[in-house]
Amino acid sequence: MKRNSLFILILLLAVFIALGTLQNRHLQQLRASEAFYRWILAAATNERLFSDQSEGYDDKSLFMSIADATESLLPEVSTMENTGADPIRPVSRLGMVAGEQEHRKTLWKLVSGPVLAQQRQRFLDDARQRKLLFAKDIQYAEAQASGVNVFNLFFGFRKVAATFVWIQVDRFWHQGMMYRMIPLMKTCVTLDPNFVDAYLLGAWHLAYNATAKMVDTPQALKTWSDKYQTCLGEKERYYYLAVDFLQDGIQKNSDNYKLYFDLGFAVYKNKLQDYEKAVKYLTPATYKMYHDRWVPRQLFICLELNGQYEKALEGWQQYVKEYPESQSALETAPRFIKRNQAFIQEKEAEKAEAEAKATADPVAAQLKRKEAEEHTQAALRLWTELNEPFGDYRIARLHALDLGNEGRYIEAIGVLEKARWDNLSSFDEASELIMEFKQKGNIPLSVSEKKAMLRKEEGETCTGQPAASK
Amino acid sequence: MTAVIDSFRGPWCIAVYTWREGMRKKTLVGFLVLSLLVIFGSSFMSSFLDPSAQSDMELKLIKDICVTTIAIFGMLITVFISASVVPTEMDNKVIYTVLSKPVRRVQYLLGKFLGVQLIILVNLALMGALFFLAIYLKQRILPTLLLWSILLTYFQFIIVSAFTFAISCASTSSVLPTIGGLFIYITGTLTEYLKDVFTRSGQTGELLDKIVGYLAYALYNVLPNLMHFDLKDQIINRAPNDPPTDVLIPNLIAYGLLYAITGFIMSYIIFRRKEM
Repeated sequence: MKRNSLFILILLLAVFIALGTLQNRHLQQLRASEAFYRWILAAATNERLFSDQSEGYDDKSLFMSIADATESLLPEVSTMENTGADPIRPVSRLGMVAGEQEHRKTLWKLVSGPVLAQQRQRFLDDARQRKLLFAKDIQYAEAQASGVNVFNLFFGFRKVAATFVWIQVDRFWHQGMMYRMIPLMKTCVTLDPNFVDAYLLGAWHLAYNATAKMVDTPQALKTWSDKYQTCLGEKERYYYLAVDFLQDGIQKNSDNYKLYFDLGFAVYKNKLQDYEKAVKYLTPATYKMYHDRWVPRQLFICLELNGQYEKALEGWQQYVKEYPESQSALETAPRFIKRNQAFIQEKEAEKAEAEAKATADPVAAQLKRKEAEEHTQAALRLWTELNEPFGDYRIARLHALDLGNEGRYIEAIGVLEKARWDNLSSFDEASELIMEFKQKGNIPLSVSEKKAMLRKEEGETCTGQPAASK
Repeated sequence: MTAVIDSFRGPWCIAVYTWREGMRKKTLVGFLVLSLLVIFGSSFMSSFLDPSAQSDMELKLIKDICVTTIAIFGMLITVFISASVVPTEMDNKVIYTVLSKPVRRVQYLLGKFLGVQLIILVNLALMGALFFLAIYLKQRILPTLLLWSILLTYFQFIIVSAFTFAISCASTSSVLPTIGGLFIYITGTLTEYLKDVFTRSGQTGELLDKIVGYLAYALYNVLPNLMHFDLKDQIINRAPNDPPTDVLIPNLIAYGLLYAITGFIMSYIIFRRKEM
């Protein structure tokens, strides 16, 4: 009897060990699918937003094979608008679907199902051989390569280790040891790839604090960077280090709006004045993710700076509808709505003027000039209603352009001279217009204007720049 | 039905008395107080950081420190209590009194095991509640994902607890099971290394090399892998309704339960024929 009960117990033990083993295998498969899913999200973000960073790795070919296999199985995403994707570069359906949070469940079902079993196995094999760039910070994928890796360090307590490393980074900052901060910041995000604040503060240190006491590098001292396809000095190099740092963060945390916002607003808008790129990153942060209210506001400002007045106007009007009681909707939005309306009128006036000049038919030309005049009057009215220094400058500019068209260059220069000192934010634009009028009217340029002209003639060239990019 | 209820009445009484006795242990209370102090103190850790760096860094600091504290102290409490309940009763001879009553060994063992789980759960609940409060006071939003994290922590502990309990049934003092429990936790987090052994095996072409590889692979599949529960650390920073997380949670719970039952059956096999 006793022997029988022991036998039953051992049998029961064997059954539970077998069930545990099966569940273990099932969990291994689930974790493999999870790693595969997260890698697809990172590779899709790379396809949508960045130029290919995985040269020398297998990410692209594997991603494309998955994209081909799932083309007919994924829901159609009708438009690329608001994704931040470059409209010229083709983006696969997988790349687009992965960017939409509403389709994540569908994507997960596909990724964990039998349809992609072959690709999933290839993913694990490639991860084992370290052939995938975007799998490097995915725990299960990393474990394929070495079994024990950075994730097992501290017996799973690596997140708190990352936090303590960050405290050291903070200390180095106060001691002014920027050169020591950079490797430690990278250690931090290696230990914890989801440490979004490390990415944000790290990029802030690089773009703002490290460069705070540096002067802008003169164009002649800059050197060409193949990686960034632009001329860089020491100061500008820090800006691009911040760009790299934030892009790395976006790859690993593709749904966090803060990273997109800091890349678009803090670096591209404020530091590099690259409004096109700023719009590119602020757009998905505004339309594809949960965000704070200042995100769309900055997008609309960048759209205006990038000359996309219609979109900016539409955005502001939508913002007022969404948050009618907010201070921004009551105070800020009406000003920007007027600004964009005025800019649209100015643009229309310029367009009509150009068409009038282009046409041979004097009647049509007359009509176009009349149309241009109407648009200009509308713009003047809006700038007057705006009642702020920037509006006054735009009025002065329109007045100066009128005078210039009549050949009254000295008067036009006089108007602009006063306007540029009254509104310093438009100083450069007014100065360029003054130089243009001086050249047209054969008026001698000042020494600084001559220097500016020479710089302009030299263009944005630098040492080592290939002829094709000049 | 009455017979089933009656058969569970004995274990339940033992469980409650084990819990009462366990909560009086000074070492355990020491661990608990220390962990609560660390969780409470995590709110002040942000004073090490620059106040001008406006960010959620403070919240991240609290989350990381609290999760780690719960994991470390929770694990210590789990190992300590699972390792000591049976050997202590053998040492002070209480077990003889209990087993002389109409209580079967399996009922006694089940009661002890349930009592250990009650102690772990109460400790986790206390630590979790303070953590919950610290996060709530900071962000003024109920951190529901935290509850899942604490639940997964428990199912990780139940595996360690069950196997430590099994070792304790074979031992007469709590020293060996305590060391065994710590060893189970450490090796449990390094199980993935066995897969690497399997992947690299066979390179020399020798039979022994291959055998070692297959053995490693078999162990990799059979032994509990505590790194599966790493989700408990990640879940706090993830978006709600993340599809893989939703699927993983019930599977991890089932995994924890299966190995807990396995550990308990092992305990009983050892304990049923023990001379005392």
